[in-house]
Amino acid sequence: MFHYDAIDTAMVADRNAEFRDQVQRRLSGDLTEDQFKPLRLMNGLYLQLHSYMLRVAIPYGALTSAKMRALAHVARRWDKGYGHFTTRQNVQFHWIRLSDTPDVLDYLATAELHAIQTSGNCIRNTTSDPFAGAAAEEVDDPRVWSEVIRQWSTFHPEFTYLPRKFKIAVTASPQDRTAARAHDIGLVLRRNRDGRLGFEVIVGGGMGRTPYIGSTIREHLPAEHLLSYLTAILRVYNRFGRRDNLYKARIKILVASLGAAEFASQVDAEWDAMDRPRLDLPDIELARIRASFGLVPFRTMPPRSERFEAARSDPAFARFARNNVVPHKIPGYGIVQVSLKGIGEVPGDCSADQMEVLADLAERHGHGEIRVTHEQNLVLPHVPLDEVPALHAGLAAAGLATPNINLVSDMIACPGLDYCALANARAIPVAQAISRTFADPARAERIGELKIKISGCINACGHHHVGHIGILGVDKKGEEFYQLTLGGSGAEDAAIGHVLGPALGADKVADAIDKLVEAYLAIRQPDERFLDTYRRTGVGPFKAAVYPDAHQA
Amino acid sequence: MSEALKVLTANDLAGGQVVFLSEAGWSDRYADAVIFDDAAAADAALEAARAATLTLADPYLIDVAAVDGLPVPTSYRERIRALGPTIHPDMGPQADGGVLVHALQQARGAARSSGRLGLIRRK
Amino acid sequence: MLIRLENDHFHTVEDRFTAVDDDAALTGDGAVLLSLTRFEADGAALLAAGRDVGVRIGPADRIEALAPVLPSLALVALEFPKYRDGRAYSSAVLLRERYGFDGEVRAVGDVQIDQAWNMVRCGFDAFETTVGPNAWAAAARRYRHVYQASADNRAPAFVERARVVRDAVATVG
Repeated sequence: MFHYDAIDTAMVADRNAEFRDQVQRRLSGDLTEDQFKPLRLMNGLYLQLHSYMLRVAIPYGALTSAKMRALAHVARRWDKGYGHFTTRQNVQFHWIRLSDTPDVLDYLATAELHAIQTSGNCIRNTTSDPFAGAAAEEVDDPRVWSEVIRQWSTFHPEFTYLPRKFKIAVTASPQDRTAARAHDIGLVLRRNRDGRLGFEVIVGGGMGRTPYIGSTIREHLPAEHLLSYLTAILRVYNRFGRRDNLYKARIKILVASLGAAEFASQVDAEWDAMDRPRLDLPDIELARIRASFGLVPFRTMPPRSERFEAARSDPAFARFARNNVVPHKIPGYGIVQVSLKGIGEVPGDCSADQMEVLADLAERHGHGEIRVTHEQNLVLPHVPLDEVPALHAGLAAAGLATPNINLVSDMIACPGLDYCALANARAIPVAQAISRTFADPARAERIGELKIKISGCINACGHHHVGHIGILGVDKKGEEFYQLTLGGSGAEDAAIGHVLGPALGADKVADAIDKLVEAYLAIRQPDERFLDTYRRTGVGPFKAAVYPDAHQA
Repeated sequence: MSEALKVLTANDLAGGQVVFLSEAGWSDRYADAVIFDDAAAADAALEAARAATLTLADPYLIDVAAVDGLPVPTSYRERIRALGPTIHPDMGPQADGGVLVHALQQARGAARSSGRLGLIRRK
Repeated sequence: MLIRLENDHFHTVEDRFTAVDDDAALTGDGAVLLSLTRFEADGAALLAAGRDVGVRIGPADRIEALAPVLPSLALVALEFPKYRDGRAYSSAVLLRERYGFDGEVRAVGDVQIDQAWNMVRCGFDAFETTVGPNAWAAAARRYRHVYQASADNRAPAFVERARVVRDAVATVG
């Protein structure tokens, strides 16, 4: 696993000292709230509906058992005993005191964790593939490039006060588990015909009130030029992105207004004029970063595990194996996904006790590695198949063996109005109601892959635009209402969903989802997912199911 | 005819918790809040709160309706803010329970006044 | 107050430039600071008369417009209308890196201590601020290391690390 060297350690220590000073200046009155707010946001500290919230980065979604235990300690000592894993490979603590924050950050630093640039109008934590280093089909380890970007973007002097926040994703597999096309920059690693490593550079994706799927501005950027090219993109955006309107300040609006081709040519002109060798990472540093991730000491094992197969006689294990375990690049290993979507529970929440169980289980069965997914689940990326039954038993004892990955109850939900100061409506209770509606695991499996994503406001932290079924909470004359969208996807087949019809009252949503699912089951063809059926038939049968009285358009 | 009732709220600067102006300074409990029925007095209190930058963040006034004689914030957002997360009834001020907490939990949509306030904590 | 960074040292200086509004008369014979518009009208004459001339650039002005005359300018002042407006950082980097401007690059407007390191790294060497020079210097030097190359020519972490490797190899050799 990657570890900080003396320079990385000093960087975090210097930042924590600076932040301690900023907090002290606020508490002593040297800074007004207006002056302090952007400074605290730059270090992930929000003032939410009930309290301060601290967002801690999990770079490229990679945790170790030691880091997970540190998160558990923060949850217990400074919060109310739990944390919330987000759609951006961060973890949020919802009950933090401002006056405790400097101590929390110093403690996190001992475990090589930080809250640097987890908010604010700067370059945020880079999203990466939670299966990195384990997926058979990846062309390179995306964590290496995410770490390259982490360093380059940390305290970038030119790009700390951008028009708006900026999110980058890196993926290296044909299956996109990062929602790359919904990021400000999505980087897809590929090898060209000559075997050279390069990035497809996708710019201008994003959600919020104006959702866009990103445009490809370069098919194959030679990997060694990543940093100079990113600098060129960010410079064009920093100079010419809109600053007069908060809602038009993201790079997607600049790309859309210029057109992708013109934006690309401005980036190229900037890039051509640069002293690239000064900006690009030298091979020796790339090699150092690559080596610092080390090698997992995989054992040589037969591809088929008798113990794993025998355990399938337990229906609960069989279901877990079918839905939560996927093949690993090394024979005899599996990638085990841990759902944080227990039936009726809060999507993404994890108690301090559960964090410690996971840390122990990862150490015992999974080389001490834990990953965080953008779908608010966790992954033990390297588990010998022989040990999956024991792991499953340990997870089940902690309430962490819900066998629903990619199924209807595996929903994304933002914190919504239960926590968030910006929300218009609650998201979590809606997720809980849907989850209970589909509590029967056999039925959920029959339905198959179905991604429901719920946001409590138009900022779309719950990714509703790219849900197979999206749910957006709105305030309609003082009542919580929910608008459904269909047909979105955040994966390699990315698309923005379409509004189904008038918004529904809170008590009608779960029932409407049930009707949509029944309509799908009635008309699906073999091997069609919900999304595929929708794409084949269009909205008609779904609209009729939810709004039977509506006149035919 | 309904009165324009207001409550003054903010977040505690150092702790972040929601606070309400009460007769005895700032309180973590909505039940302690002073109910203003005089707009000028409410605005004056807001101005004073804005000046208290060493102890408070983001003070503002919220609208309150008299529902069955009890002061209930008209918006569901402000009711959730006064109670704590609805998904965790054991967290936040709602954990203490009481008649007023119950009234806030029972309110739906945009609360409207149904008669006059039965309490005397008016200013 | 005006702080200058000279020879790695931050100190307070008198501002020798007189800011001249667009509609004000030009008097005296000292150094003047003009808007881009005023400079386009009167700059050539002032330079011909041997005056030191600085130009004040707004965040939306394209720094490219100054390129042809940069060698004759003594000062470019870059405006921060709000400290959250980061466009001037790119302008400063372009002045130093692309155009090789070696005159004074001054930060004016909303200039707060928390931006000191950003500004210094992007090539600013003058700061119109209410912060004292010692506090400013401490804030500018807060970070012992930097991760990326910028206009201040500090060695980024990857250069520092390579140096460690090279020294180790030299020792072994």
